[in-house]
Amino acid sequence: MTRHPALRLDGLEVRFGDRPGLAPLSFAVKRGERLAVVGTSGAGKSSLLRTIAGLQPHGAGSVFIEGRDCTDLPPEGRGSVYLHQTPLLFPHLNVSGNVAFPLRVRKLPRAVIQRRVRDVLHALGVADLAARTPASLSGGQRHRVALARAIAAQPPVLLLDEPLASLDPPLRAEARDAILNATNDYAPAVILVTHDLAEAGWLADRIGVILDGRLAQLTSPDILFTRPVSPAVASFVGFSNRLDGIIDDGGIFRAGPLALPLPTNFNGPAVLLFRPEAVRVTGEGSLQARVLDVHFAPGTVRLHLRLNELEFQAECTLPSSRAISGGIVAFELDPQHLVLFPAST
Amino acid sequence: MTLGSARTPLRSLLLTGLGILAVAPLLLLLITSISRSWFWPALLPVPSADSWAALIAGTSGGRLSGAALNSLALALATGLLASALSLPLGRALAGLRGWRRSLGAGAAFLPVAAPPIALGIGLQFTFLTLGLGGSFMGVLLAHLVPALGYATLYFLGVFAVYDDRLEDEARTLGASPTQVFRRVTLPRLGRPLLEAALLGFLVSWAQVPLTILVGQGLVPTLAVEVLGLVQSGQDALAATGSLLLIIPAIFMLMAAALAIRRVEAVPV
Repeated sequence: MTRHPALRLDGLEVRFGDRPGLAPLSFAVKRGERLAVVGTSGAGKSSLLRTIAGLQPHGAGSVFIEGRDCTDLPPEGRGSVYLHQTPLLFPHLNVSGNVAFPLRVRKLPRAVIQRRVRDVLHALGVADLAARTPASLSGGQRHRVALARAIAAQPPVLLLDEPLASLDPPLRAEARDAILNATNDYAPAVILVTHDLAEAGWLADRIGVILDGRLAQLTSPDILFTRPVSPAVASFVGFSNRLDGIIDDGGIFRAGPLALPLPTNFNGPAVLLFRPEAVRVTGEGSLQARVLDVHFAPGTVRLHLRLNELEFQAECTLPSSRAISGGIVAFELDPQHLVLFPAST
Repeated sequence: MTLGSARTPLRSLLLTGLGILAVAPLLLLLITSISRSWFWPALLPVPSADSWAALIAGTSGGRLSGAALNSLALALATGLLASALSLPLGRALAGLRGWRRSLGAGAAFLPVAAPPIALGIGLQFTFLTLGLGGSFMGVLLAHLVPALGYATLYFLGVFAVYDDRLEDEARTLGASPTQVFRRVTLPRLGRPLLEAALLGFLVSWAQVPLTILVGQGLVPTLAVEVLGLVQSGQDALAATGSLLLIIPAIFMLMAAALAIRRVEAVPV
C-alpha cells in the first residue's frame, strides 16, 4: 500500500458536455475511506464520477490515483472502476464470466482467475448463481454480481453512481450491507454519489455537498447534519424551516414574537434554520402557534404552523389532541437543532 | 357475435390467400422444371428431368451451375463486406446529431432509394473509368453499394437504441478498446451482424441491373442467366434456374435463423 491517498483531485474542472460544469475540485480520499457526494439532480455528481473514471473530458486540473497522475490516461489505465446506477452485466456471459471479465482482460493465469472468482462470489453471497445468466437474475442479485465484478478487479478507487437508487426499499438494506462488507475486506477508496442523505450518512465516512456548481461542504456526516456551513447547505440537508430575523446586542435572536437566546458571535440581520424535528409540540408553553395543516406519514405527523406572520413545519410522533387543522398548539424549539447565519451568508 | 370472432373468418381467408400467392408460383416453377411440355388439352404435364440432368451433367445447364457459383461467391462477399463495413458506419452515423445525421442517413438511403438502373448507369461510368468494368471485383463493388446502404440504415437503427454504458464499464474494468470490441461489442452485436450479412447476401443474390451494366455480360450470375433463359423461351431451364435462385436464399434464411438462435439474442 502506498503512502499516497488512493484518490486525489487537484483543481479538477468537471465539464457538462461542452459547457463549464463544476468549479475546480480539490480533495483526497484514502484507502478504506468512503466518500459520498450528494447534491440535487443535475448537480454534476455523475459527471464528477465519470470524469474521475476518464469516461468524459475534463477541464483544467489533475486526477491522481495512488500518487500517479492519471489525468490523461484512458479509463482502463487508471485503477478506478465505475459502476452505473443500473447494474450492467454482460448479457452474453454468465455470472462467473462476468466476474472473471476484469481478470481475463488482464490476462491473469486461469487458476488465479478461478480462485478469485470463487472467493468474490462467495464473499458477496452469490456463489450459487455462478452458472446463471444475467437475464435470470433479480434486481438485487444483479446488483451484487456487478459489485462482485468490480471487487474482483480490486481497483484502488471504486466509483459508485447512485448504488441503491434502482432498488426497491427491501433490497436496499441488502445491497448496502453488501457494499459495506465487500469494501471492508480489501479497502478501496469508495466515492459514491447519491441524492439520498440517509444513504450517504449510512455508507460514508465523509460527505461532500455539491450545490450551485461547487463543492459547498465536505465533512463527516455528524458535522454536516448538525453544523452545515451555509444556509444553502443547511436547507439541503433538511433544515427546511427558515426564519429571517435579527440578533440584538444582547445576543437574542428576534423574529416577530419569537425571542430566542442563542450562542452567537455576531449581531445584526440573521437567518435561523431548523429541522421540523426541532419543533417540540408540548402540552403547554408560552409559544403558541395555529395549526394550518396536518400531514400524516407512517410513525410521524407533520404540522404546518403559523405564529403571527411566521410559518414553519413541525414533525412529531405523538400529536396532541389540539394538533388538528385550525387548532392551537404550544411548542418550543430545541436549541441543539438550530443553526444561525448572518443574513448576508 | 363479437368483433373478434367476426374478424376470424376474414383473417383466415386473407392468410390462406397470402399462402396461395406465396406457394403457387413456387409450385408452378417446380412443375415446369420437371416437365418437357404441358399444352392444352393435356391435363398433366409430360414429366422430364432433362433440365436438372443438364444442370448436373454440366451440358446445356453448365452455364447455370457456373453462374450459381459466381452468384454465391458474390453474395457471400457482399454480405460479409456490407455487414463489416456498415457496423462502424452505422455507429458513426448514430453518433451524429442534427443536420449531419440527416445528411449521413440521406447518403446511406440514396443507393437504396435510387432505381437500380439509374444507379447502375452511374456506377458503370465510374467503374469503366477505373478499369473495373466487366470484372468480378467491379460487380462485387457495384453490389456492395446498395447492400451497404441497406445495412448502414439497419445499423443506424440498431445504434439509435444501443446502450454503450456497458462498454464504458468494461473500459473501467480494465479492457482496452480492442478488448471491449472483441469481448463486449461483437458478442452483443452478433445477431445484428448476421442479419446485416443476410441482407447484403440477398441484395446481391437477386441483383440483375447492376450485374448487367457493370459486369457487361462478362460476369455471369444466376439471376442474369435465368433472365436470358426466359427471354430465349427455355422454360424448363429457366424454371430450374429460378428454383436455384430461391433455394439458397431460403437455405441462407434458415441458417441465419439457426445461427441467430445460437448467438442467443443478446439485447443491445
